[in-house]
Amino acid sequence: MDQPSKGAGVSGADVSDIAIEANAAAKAPVADRAQALKQFALSDKTFYWLTRASAICVLLLLGGIILSLIVGAWPAIQHFGLSFLTTQRWAPQLEPAPILGGLGPIYGTFVSSLIAMLIAVPVGLGIAIFLTELCPMWLRRPFGVAIELLAGIPSIIYGMWGFFVLAPFLADHVQPWIIAATSGIPVLGSIFGGPPSYLSLFNASVVLAIMILPFITAISRDVFMTVPPVLKESAYGLGCTTWEVVRNVVIPYTRVGVIGGVMLALGRALGETMAVTFIIGNSFRIQDSIFSPGTTISAAIASEFAESGGLHQSALFLLGLLLFVLTFFVLAAARLMLMRLERAKGA
Amino acid sequence: MNSIYARRRRRNVIIRVLCYAAAAFGLTWLGLILFTLFWNGLAGLNLSVFTQMTPPPGSKTGGLANAIAGSAIMTFLGVAIGAPIGMLAGTFLAEYGRHERLTTVIRFINDILLSAPSIIIGLFVYVAVVLPMGGFSGLAGALALAVIVIPVVVRTTEDMLLLVPNPLREAASALGMPRSLVIKRVAYRAARAGLITGVLLATARVAGETAPLLFTALNNQFWNIDMTTTVANLPVTINNFVQSPYEYWRQLAWTGALIITLAVLTLNVVARILGRERNTQ
Amino acid sequence: MTTMTIAADAFQPPAASAPVKIEVRNLDFFYGAFRALKNINLSLEQNRVTAFIGPSGCGKSTLLRILNRMYDLYPGQRAEGEVLLDGANILDPGVDVNLLRARVGMVFQKPTPFPMTIYDNIAFGIKLYEKLSKSEIDGRVEAALKGAALWNEVKDKLNASGLSLSGGQQQRLCIARTVAIRPDVILFDEPCSALDPISTAKVEELIDELKAQYTIAIVTHNMQQAARVSDNTAFMYLGDLVEFGETSQMFTTPTQKATQDYITGRFG
Repeated sequence: MDQPSKGAGVSGADVSDIAIEANAAAKAPVADRAQALKQFALSDKTFYWLTRASAICVLLLLGGIILSLIVGAWPAIQHFGLSFLTTQRWAPQLEPAPILGGLGPIYGTFVSSLIAMLIAVPVGLGIAIFLTELCPMWLRRPFGVAIELLAGIPSIIYGMWGFFVLAPFLADHVQPWIIAATSGIPVLGSIFGGPPSYLSLFNASVVLAIMILPFITAISRDVFMTVPPVLKESAYGLGCTTWEVVRNVVIPYTRVGVIGGVMLALGRALGETMAVTFIIGNSFRIQDSIFSPGTTISAAIASEFAESGGLHQSALFLLGLLLFVLTFFVLAAARLMLMRLERAKGA
Repeated sequence: MNSIYARRRRRNVIIRVLCYAAAAFGLTWLGLILFTLFWNGLAGLNLSVFTQMTPPPGSKTGGLANAIAGSAIMTFLGVAIGAPIGMLAGTFLAEYGRHERLTTVIRFINDILLSAPSIIIGLFVYVAVVLPMGGFSGLAGALALAVIVIPVVVRTTEDMLLLVPNPLREAASALGMPRSLVIKRVAYRAARAGLITGVLLATARVAGETAPLLFTALNNQFWNIDMTTTVANLPVTINNFVQSPYEYWRQLAWTGALIITLAVLTLNVVARILGRERNTQ
Repeated sequence: MTTMTIAADAFQPPAASAPVKIEVRNLDFFYGAFRALKNINLSLEQNRVTAFIGPSGCGKSTLLRILNRMYDLYPGQRAEGEVLLDGANILDPGVDVNLLRARVGMVFQKPTPFPMTIYDNIAFGIKLYEKLSKSEIDGRVEAALKGAALWNEVKDKLNASGLSLSGGQQQRLCIARTVAIRPDVILFDEPCSALDPISTAKVEELIDELKAQYTIAIVTHNMQQAARVSDNTAFMYLGDLVEFGETSQMFTTPTQKATQDYITGRFG
């Protein structure tokens, strides 16, 4: 951009003079301005309505998702009714009419998420405490960044790693050991009953746990960092140990946020597809042992949808609808909790 | 040293050890994932990956050129469709609707969409686009990705605009600027780095999405950039190759996974650097 | 304080009165249910500086923000009564606020340069309303910067970011920006509260020069500043206009006890 041309030999001293001149030169600009503003009036309104329409679009998306799931699931709802929730048999090719029940994938979804959370929550919180309280200062940033980057890696990467690396390792080294350790014990013996398997609910759960680990860590670290340093310092000042500060100051202060973060992670685990599809085994039968194959709602949809039709496809839509309702409530609860934390922080 | 204090110290040491163990445990797994990914992925990385089409069954040659191109186009389209809508919606939440009840509702719904299972998005687009269009298509895939992009961009746009100090808006209004210009010329400019960061993060988010493409874009063994039919893409190609019996396909799956990961990591890192610039400004 | 009686002669207009630019009549202002201003009556005279003083929360900034309807940006705030600018009521719902704000410019407490170059910071407002050639705009930018006594400091870096200037320079840039669109009235909302003494002196000098062409209103916490720059002063307390008159008279012989207490530092 060019420099403005020098005003005709004006020095800083007589500023007011040139300003007066300038002002006098355009003494009645009001009409012109009104004219100029009229040009903006239309674009101003248009922009407002564009933003408003886009915002409403977010609501429509949710509505569209729910509606399309209901439309897709409707034949199955009519045909199977509530028995869909209690039937285990999944026989899409059966003549004359297929028998389809969602109990297997529903069970698998809950169990795999439960196991994943049992592993990932304590470890994730442990890492978060490590990152905020124990880690040397110079390492905190790189560690934190690494965790956040890992949380961004697509889930299919975790899935294929689970398939090629983790599943064989678990089946060859971990499962036999657990089976041996628990055999003969009443309940545990059947939960961890053999034989070891590459494709199993347990293996899928472990991959799921590893996938949500960075997520839980990142979110609980953020939540822990909302604790005002003064609060922690005064507890340390009383002679509290690190653990006592975490236990009595950090966790009580952030409890709602941590629970919200954990539920957010649960929402992800429930709906996760690619991390589990390869190694869960796609079996609709519910078996006692978690070392045997199973399936989850999303894995069932992912592996069967493209080749399905008719009632079979509708049943998959019904599974999708159930999954969406389930995650909706989990995520809604999580968001409400996190919102409470934010409000408390603002107050 | 009295006994109570000794007990407290012991407990503290135990917990500290557990935390160190958790960190070591978690980081070991995550490190291992990256290591195997690079190890296996690099083994198959060569020029032909980028120049040749995906191989037919049993073939010992072939690359991922069509899948990479398809993924790039669909990701670009998805972001090109989703980001403007998301930005406008985020603008409404942060600027016009700040005091409306509608805003609270939309923000809440948006947060839920943000973490909704992506396979559900696939089902939605299947009903909304694939069925009416009469078949799988790259456009359907791009739209599915756009649906995922929107909530991400809404969230970041709103957050970034809320960081723009109010006096700046007042100052612009005080010059007689219409509201839309205050937003477009001043608020957007002040939040520019943050807005770009949001779009980059959304791109990173969808670049590796697989589930919503499984029954929208499907896949294609050949070079095709016609978005009205099935289009090859990296995630679904990986999905298919992982479960195949052919060694060469599995190798390609690793290489494809490495390419996706590198792309996603790069986007994340760039977004982070931009975000930091904003903070230091 | 509610029982404070206000003598009739508190509102005597200054002796040598200039033409009235803005007249405020029976003005009330509400933040939701809270009545922040109570029946305010006063007038701003052309080419004079009117200062609003009073302790925090007295409503002086609120009053200023009514004069360009800045409160319109926020829901739940409303004004009742009349504010006549050249005889036309600006509180009329039909008034175009953007047009109004182009006539009644405002300078804020903290410098608010836009995130763009120094040149664009000023050219921006001009281009909004007028279609001018490049050289005309250049001339206007230069005139505005000179008008704000900033030209010599920035003429070699017009393409640098407005944020790169010092606090005092930024504030003068904001004044230049306001002057550039040729308003009739300029409102200053504690323009020096974030500035160092030297920058403050420059801004005060500038205000003194600007009053040759503009009607000026300034809110300030600093009594010396009010005494230095203003011709008329309004003292406000808890939403009431306690006393309004010529500055020289108000600071020497206030008619109200409260004014005297405040000026002498007994409260506030």
